[in-house]
Amino acid sequence: MHRAAQRRIIIPFLLPALLLLGVFFLYPLVRTVDISFTEWTRTGSSSYVGVENYTRLFDDPGYVNALKNAFLFTLVGGCMLFPVAIAIAWALNQRIHGERFFRFVVFAPVVLSAAVVALMWKFVYHPTLGLINPALEGLGLGALARTWLGDASTALPAVAFTTVWHGIGIWVVLLSAGFERLPPDVLEAGRIDGAGEWRLFRSVMLPMMRDLFRILVVLWIVQSMQAFAFVFIMTNGGPYGSTDIVGTLMYRVAFERYEFGYAAAMGVALVVIMLVVTQIVNKVMKRDELQY
Amino acid sequence: MKTRRIVVPLAAGCLALAACSGGGDDDTAGTGPEAAGWHDEIEGGPLEVGVLSAEGTPGLGILRELADGLQADYEGTDVTLTFANTDARPGIEQRWRSGDPLDVDYGMFDGTNPALTVWADDGALLDLRPYLEQDDPDTGEPWLDRFSPAVLEFMENPSDGGIYGVPSELSLHVLFYNAGLFTELGIEPPRTWDDLLAANTALQAGGVDPIAVTGLFEPYMGMWSDHLWLRTVGYDKARAVLTGGEGHITEDPGFLEGLEMLQQLRDDDAFLTGFEGTDFTAAQAQFFQGDAGMILMGSWLVSEMADVIPADFELGVVAFPTVEGGAGDQGAVMAAPQVISIAAESEHIPLALEWARRLTSVETQTRRAEEIGEVSAVADVPSPPGIPGIDQVIADAESLEPRDYGITQSPAMEVIYPEIARLLFGEQDAQQTLERLDEGLRRVHGN
Repeated sequence: MHRAAQRRIIIPFLLPALLLLGVFFLYPLVRTVDISFTEWTRTGSSSYVGVENYTRLFDDPGYVNALKNAFLFTLVGGCMLFPVAIAIAWALNQRIHGERFFRFVVFAPVVLSAAVVALMWKFVYHPTLGLINPALEGLGLGALARTWLGDASTALPAVAFTTVWHGIGIWVVLLSAGFERLPPDVLEAGRIDGAGEWRLFRSVMLPMMRDLFRILVVLWIVQSMQAFAFVFIMTNGGPYGSTDIVGTLMYRVAFERYEFGYAAAMGVALVVIMLVVTQIVNKVMKRDELQY
Repeated sequence: MKTRRIVVPLAAGCLALAACSGGGDDDTAGTGPEAAGWHDEIEGGPLEVGVLSAEGTPGLGILRELADGLQADYEGTDVTLTFANTDARPGIEQRWRSGDPLDVDYGMFDGTNPALTVWADDGALLDLRPYLEQDDPDTGEPWLDRFSPAVLEFMENPSDGGIYGVPSELSLHVLFYNAGLFTELGIEPPRTWDDLLAANTALQAGGVDPIAVTGLFEPYMGMWSDHLWLRTVGYDKARAVLTGGEGHITEDPGFLEGLEMLQQLRDDDAFLTGFEGTDFTAAQAQFFQGDAGMILMGSWLVSEMADVIPADFELGVVAFPTVEGGAGDQGAVMAAPQVISIAAESEHIPLALEWARRLTSVETQTRRAEEIGEVSAVADVPSPPGIPGIDQVIADAESLEPRDYGITQSPAMEVIYPEIARLLFGEQDAQQTLERLDEGLRRVHGN
């Protein structure tokens, strides 16, 4: 009786959220799957083509290349992001002098729009008028100068770096919260046992934050595999497809070639791939609950 | 069970929504007022017009004045100018598909490009021919007679003979050169390929990179191969192979010849230092700053870069150099008229027609030529004074051919320009480029 009454109260509270979820997530998802089984004309007429769009996918070198680049982007960006974000979060957790200022500096890029950041870095990377190459030459490291966005071997890491630079503040905040939630008595016990700060960090803090890392890695995979804005603005997938990722390829297929059904199939396949990858990562990084 | 109670109705609702939204509305009327008296039927009302001029530019100022004039002349008129450039097209075309088109819009029709006749074929655009054939109230001559005969093929739909757009400006692809620098170094404007190579050598001797080009926007690198193939293969043949899927690129030696000429430019270090990582805006700015002697670009360059052109900069233009012995079209110039079309579903077709009539009037076109450097497709409009030499290019042009062979709106885009970029970046030579192009084109065209 009591439970039934509780349920009746819960439903009105859930309805707004369910409505939003339905309109902005479930409906687009169902509609995208629906579109992926069709072929469209530029003017908006469609016809059912069954699984043809899906069978085309993995024979399409463009899609395979975009998937490969998306994984590479995730890997390279993740390697750039997590060590630095963990280090910064740890440092900010040490109650250093001017902590608020450093927090502001690290978080500031997050509030800039992706378009502004992408354009700014596009000029920073400019081979002759930018900041990096002249700085390298000024330091006597001219041999390291590159055309950055115009070099197939450096373009993807350059875009990944910009993405990380823009968003690192959020990750630092999340990791800082993790550091702050560590039980002080455990850390204190470690110090009493003679552990230095590095040992404490490596052997106590990191293992205790493993669940948080797992969630953050999954979040990074989901976010980076769907990256679009930075690649679109900075390289549009070039040079010759070396930075093309699924998002930019889908955009071109849908809005330059008007193959909406095929683009939808690319999106659905990406969702499935992401689900599989995140499940694997989740399983690999999961471990028994830590007792302390 | 509890979960199912919520999820099942939600999913059913989504499916129902999905089912209801499919297909789109094909109920386009395609009819306008009687042609003979359309001018008398103009009534004020809301009018949404696509424009290509960005906020804050003098070009938009002229269009605002045009809108103000229309609002003053027809009570109740409220003109909205909507930015409709390339980046805005996906959103705007989605509006057309969903039955909410702009009354007047750009980029909806090009009679030379099959990808851009589909809106007319599906009845989404108003056939302007009946109205264009009426005498213009200002001139007493048919409105259609205003336009240069060279642009008629862009306005006319080959499938039904209707006219679905009128050009508000004409973009010509030309070779811009720094005339002051050329005079200083004693270089002749490059009218032939040998002239161009000689100019490269002289510019390099003068410490200037010969050619500005961007490496971050592949279609602009592709302008070089487009033009070389125009000279070494010819427009019709190149278009048939590249986007029509007729024949193979290895069958005509002109394709390899063009690629070898491009390789020669690359091997001679003719392109701007660091062009591979240079954005097109930066490349254009560097040309005007004297870092490079030439740039192959559309005639929109001058109006687009007006803010960064030094006051004392001397500009010159010539048509893309001819290739002696080339089997292609030596007198052709690549062009792209910016064509405006009227939605067949517009509720204010006479008002939309009046906008198009005023925009293409000699008076408005002359202002646009003189104040913002636009080239006009309307007869009796002077060439823009800011582009010295463009009048000669137009006078000498044996034909205007549509730019880029329709590559940018075809699946061949994924193949052609990336391979040209590989060639320019030194990843492969001309022969390897040809082979990769052949492989890619066979794949996308299935031939």
